[in-house]
Amino acid sequence: METQKKILVLCGGKFAFKALQLLAYEKFICAIGIGKGNYTTIDALERESEENNFGFKSFPDNKSISEMRNWIDTIQPDYIFCISFPFLLTESILSYGQNKFINFHPGPLPQYRGPMPIFEVLKNQENETAICAHFMNTKFDEGNIIFNDPITIETGDTYGKLSVKLSEHMAQVALNMANMLQFANNIPNEPQDETQSYYYEKPDLSDTYINWKRMTAEEIISLINACNPWNNGADATLLGEQIKIISAYLLNEPHENQPGTIVSFTHTLNIACEDNKQIAIEILKTDYGIITASQYMTLNPVMTGILN
Amino acid sequence: MKISFFIIQYYMQTIGILLARSTYYQTIGFDLYEGLRSGLNHLGKSDIRIISENIGFGADKQQCYRSAERLLLEENASVVIAYIGHRMAQLLRPLFLAANKMLIVLDAGANLPHEWPTCPNIFYHSLHNSLGASLAAKKAINDGYKSAGMVTGYYDGGYLHTYSIAKGFEENGGEIFFNHATGYKSEDFTIEPLKNHLEQFPDCALLSLFSGDFVQWYFEGIQKSFKEQNLPIYLPPFGFEEMMLADTEYPGDNIKGIAAWSKKIKSNENKIFIDAITSTGRTPNLFSLLSWESAEIAIKILDLIQEKNTTAQIASELHSFTFKSPRGKIYFDQKTNTSISPLYNAVLISNDEGKCEIKIESTANNVSEHFEKLINQDLNNSTSAWYNSYACI
Repeated sequence: METQKKILVLCGGKFAFKALQLLAYEKFICAIGIGKGNYTTIDALERESEENNFGFKSFPDNKSISEMRNWIDTIQPDYIFCISFPFLLTESILSYGQNKFINFHPGPLPQYRGPMPIFEVLKNQENETAICAHFMNTKFDEGNIIFNDPITIETGDTYGKLSVKLSEHMAQVALNMANMLQFANNIPNEPQDETQSYYYEKPDLSDTYINWKRMTAEEIISLINACNPWNNGADATLLGEQIKIISAYLLNEPHENQPGTIVSFTHTLNIACEDNKQIAIEILKTDYGIITASQYMTLNPVMTGILN
Repeated sequence: MKISFFIIQYYMQTIGILLARSTYYQTIGFDLYEGLRSGLNHLGKSDIRIISENIGFGADKQQCYRSAERLLLEENASVVIAYIGHRMAQLLRPLFLAANKMLIVLDAGANLPHEWPTCPNIFYHSLHNSLGASLAAKKAINDGYKSAGMVTGYYDGGYLHTYSIAKGFEENGGEIFFNHATGYKSEDFTIEPLKNHLEQFPDCALLSLFSGDFVQWYFEGIQKSFKEQNLPIYLPPFGFEEMMLADTEYPGDNIKGIAAWSKKIKSNENKIFIDAITSTGRTPNLFSLLSWESAEIAIKILDLIQEKNTTAQIASELHSFTFKSPRGKIYFDQKTNTSISPLYNAVLISNDEGKCEIKIESTANNVSEHFEKLINQDLNNSTSAWYNSYACI
């Protein structure tokens, strides 16, 4: 039996916890580094690292990355795994060893490069996403691909639900990768097909905003799910007010209204879409806070009058 | 001359097979190999190169990984067939994803995975021992038993078909009153404690999980300690493995359960299979059956590869692929990439020499519905630590 490989994991917080647990259980972890992260997460990881005799270091900002190479040299890991680590690793860090750094990107590559692939696959109504294990270079998400491990997107998956599913799947994928490094003579890998590649920037208002005139009902539902919970819902204008729609479903009923206007109110707020379908809003965020459709109706008596 | 030989070899289609070994099924590797070879011959594909690698008992991660790696990266196998469990298949998953090749897992079905697989590169062709165990337990309920004891051994007891048989009994209104797990060496193997159990709980059915030599030892013990009592014993598919039963003393009436296959299934496909394997000087059994059937799946995959399909397209095509096998029509469950095949209600009978034989009574109903239930059941934190390919110790 060959000596167990020592893996240093660089992570961004809670999303990597299950992978850390499994890798630690299988005795692969030698050290943990966290980028940004809140105090609770940092404290929890530091405590666990102390108890298990792992090296630990927090990298609160981009400037602190300059301390990483020395730290890695002290730890001397066989490989470095990155799971949602927020900072780009510099050439001086990567020169620790060729094909020693492996990133686990929570979206299929090369099609979904960028910081929030979970948002993008949901918004684009994909049926499947993937966790891509790839060697790292000095650019985000561009190194040679080892594998894309697929995972099905279920109808109704939100950003939150899919993140939890991916975090659980990440644990097994990271362990599989560790086992592969442990046993393989050769790690098959391929350069990314640049003709298939796309880099999505971090979404801004133009990406999370519902355009009632241009978007179909299904596109709107997908956007709402893609924004729940990280953006507190999809941004929209309703009755001239800026709101966020947190939860809604497709209502396959025709209407004769302008897109973006209220067709009816049952226990949901039913809005006309440009493809002659409606969406039924259940929960939304307004200046009053996060409220149900019924509460919204009570707060907008004028609108109730219109509907009556 | 040498160069052209290598060129021909490179362009020949290659199927790799990972062969396990077993101390009590000593021919298992030969059976698996011969089943595949004869299956390919039967399909008119004797020109396909078969490369085999030994994986021991299927429990050594490094040996399994390196063997699969050699078949893919050195021998350029387009498809690999392996008699392994779900856990070992999980270990090989990244290799097959990275190499963009297909793995057909020949699965005894003795274990239940915690997460049913969905990898497009891996398809599971199963003998469904856990599913059969669950249906055998249900059969005991249908026969009027409300109480039962689970009887197994140290080895067989380590697979989650134990959970399946117990759950199958309890969910249908029964209660398990005792468990007996005996040792795995012949000197430790005993069913004597059953006497005490059955004195305390006399109306119990014996839900029994054994394979290979343990089936023989179990029945010998039953004959010796419970002669002519005709204890109600219920068995899953590996309890009905005919090659082993042929050398086993008939222990008494009232032994029944679920079989995956029998030489006695009357069909043209079964006759062709039995004749083909017998003509090679071997005895057809569950292992040669499984690899014989895998030839059909492998050929389908090779055809799809030649048509330049992607892995996702191949997986999608396999989801609608069906074929007639010696045990009936086989197709794949789309959620789990696992083959579904008929299962049979069977009883044990005695032949003229007082040895065991199977009598197939009928086809089991609603196999796919029962499989759906099996994959959705919560394992309640039950885990198996066995990596071995089933029956390989």
